[in-house]
Amino acid sequence: MDAPSDISDPTQWLETPLSLLAPLESALRCQVCKEFFDNPVITSCCHTFCSLCIRRCLSADGKCPACRAQDQELKLRRNWAVQELVDAFQTARPRVLEFSMETARQAQAENREEPVHKKRKVAPAEEHIQVPEPSSEGRRTRSQRHHPQPEEHPAIENPQIIEDSQDEEEYIPEDGLVACPICNRKMKEEAVFSHLNIHQGDESPKKPQSTSSSFGPLRAPQKSLVFSGKPPERIPAINYSILKENALRKKLSDLGIPNWGPKQLLHKRHTEWMNLWNANCDSKIPKSKRELLQELDIWERTQGGLATGPSPFVSSTNVMRKDFDAKEWSSSHDDDFRRLIANARKKVGAKMAPATETAPTPSEPPANGSLVEPNIDADADHVIDLSG
Amino acid sequence: MVSTVAQKRLFHEYKNLSTNPPEGITAGPVSEDDMFYWEALIQGPEETPFEGGVFAAELKFPRDYPLSPPTMKFIGGGIWHPNVYPNGTVCISILHPPGDDPNHYEHASERWSPIQSVEKILISVMSMLAEPNDESPANVEAAKMWRERRQEYEAKVRDEVKKGLGL
Repeated sequence: MDAPSDISDPTQWLETPLSLLAPLESALRCQVCKEFFDNPVITSCCHTFCSLCIRRCLSADGKCPACRAQDQELKLRRNWAVQELVDAFQTARPRVLEFSMETARQAQAENREEPVHKKRKVAPAEEHIQVPEPSSEGRRTRSQRHHPQPEEHPAIENPQIIEDSQDEEEYIPEDGLVACPICNRKMKEEAVFSHLNIHQGDESPKKPQSTSSSFGPLRAPQKSLVFSGKPPERIPAINYSILKENALRKKLSDLGIPNWGPKQLLHKRHTEWMNLWNANCDSKIPKSKRELLQELDIWERTQGGLATGPSPFVSSTNVMRKDFDAKEWSSSHDDDFRRLIANARKKVGAKMAPATETAPTPSEPPANGSLVEPNIDADADHVIDLSG
Repeated sequence: MVSTVAQKRLFHEYKNLSTNPPEGITAGPVSEDDMFYWEALIQGPEETPFEGGVFAAELKFPRDYPLSPPTMKFIGGGIWHPNVYPNGTVCISILHPPGDDPNHYEHASERWSPIQSVEKILISVMSMLAEPNDESPANVEAAKMWRERRQEYEAKVRDEVKKGLGL
């Protein structure tokens, strides 16, 4: 199988005179995803992983994958030194690799009369390598997309930059304009103070720690009250077992992510979103919500409700597909719903009977059923919950 | 084709296994269209009744790999071994997710973790061939024979090996 050109691998050094760089490169890669560390964080037990990788591991199993010590995502701390090592190595990598392969080719050419090209594909001409264009080698992987030399062109790649709390330098957009800390409108620096008077009325008691407008409303629905220059607020973990399905569904739509599917899928999707979001909070150059939503969509198609292949949700995919016909489903399962509702009502009736004389006794389920009939649609979920 | 975390991770593992294969082990995806389905060949360890045999197995990876472990199944006749089900499915601790221990005998440290790898699985399977673990056998008959009638067990294994090689 051919190596996809956009994936770099430590084994690439092995065919060059610099084979000793293979273990160095391996050390700069996450043991979970095997990519270069992306927003490395350190655990309580002092192991380093990509922020997203360790968050996924911890939400799956609560343990450090390296030593299996218990840990919590709240205890993760950024590991900037490793980030800098990775950034520097990745910047140098294409040139060093090319240089090393070139040396190997020359040695080979000297050894043989007829220069035989190695199997490895190489850049056609060395002149192209004069400029260390980072995209020439393996720039597509997740870990590599964002970091090298972030100061050089942050505004070009992503104009809506959200600074991290640990980032001391202020973000100054290239157009020389400053964003209003409240409505995020761009203006000249001098104009900000007078402009701020406009907002004096709508100051909320608890300032939402939200971000630029590209993140949209996170948990505070007031769209106008967004702050730039503050780190995005992390999404807290939820105890899914105490949350009713509808409440969870609402939470998902408040977060702005798809909220279809059964509760187990909602739970998984929320966990994935929380991990994507909170890992993004660890990033020096956070992605926009749109990018995160795309990543969630990839998850949906590979591991979530739209996945095909061996996944826990496949057996019943027809219930979760986007094109799932809710009307068809509810009409074809109407009887089941009615039966469940009737059962639930029986149970409620049984509980109420001793307390109130007027409540119908459990021995009269049909009457009971017809009494509450008009509320069925509105309360169906609630009633079904009681039955379980 | 290689775009998700699982696929990239499997690609790196494949790359590493094909440049640096452990002795007696070959493994890789059957087709580049599906990184989640691999085939592996394992040589029978020396100085065991499995010596001389070459055993093919399939590995199926879940979409959330490496959070969950793959499954491994010997194909083509299966293997007479206490820790291999009669249908060929391998039952060893490294293939069990850390969270569940249906057998209540494995230490968490022996079980799957995202930093384990295909290479480690295959090495573990090789050493399992040499040293069965009869605490929780997958093949009770084989385990009994191994425990009580070792010579018969070894003869049967050697027989299977010969059959497997078409002799």
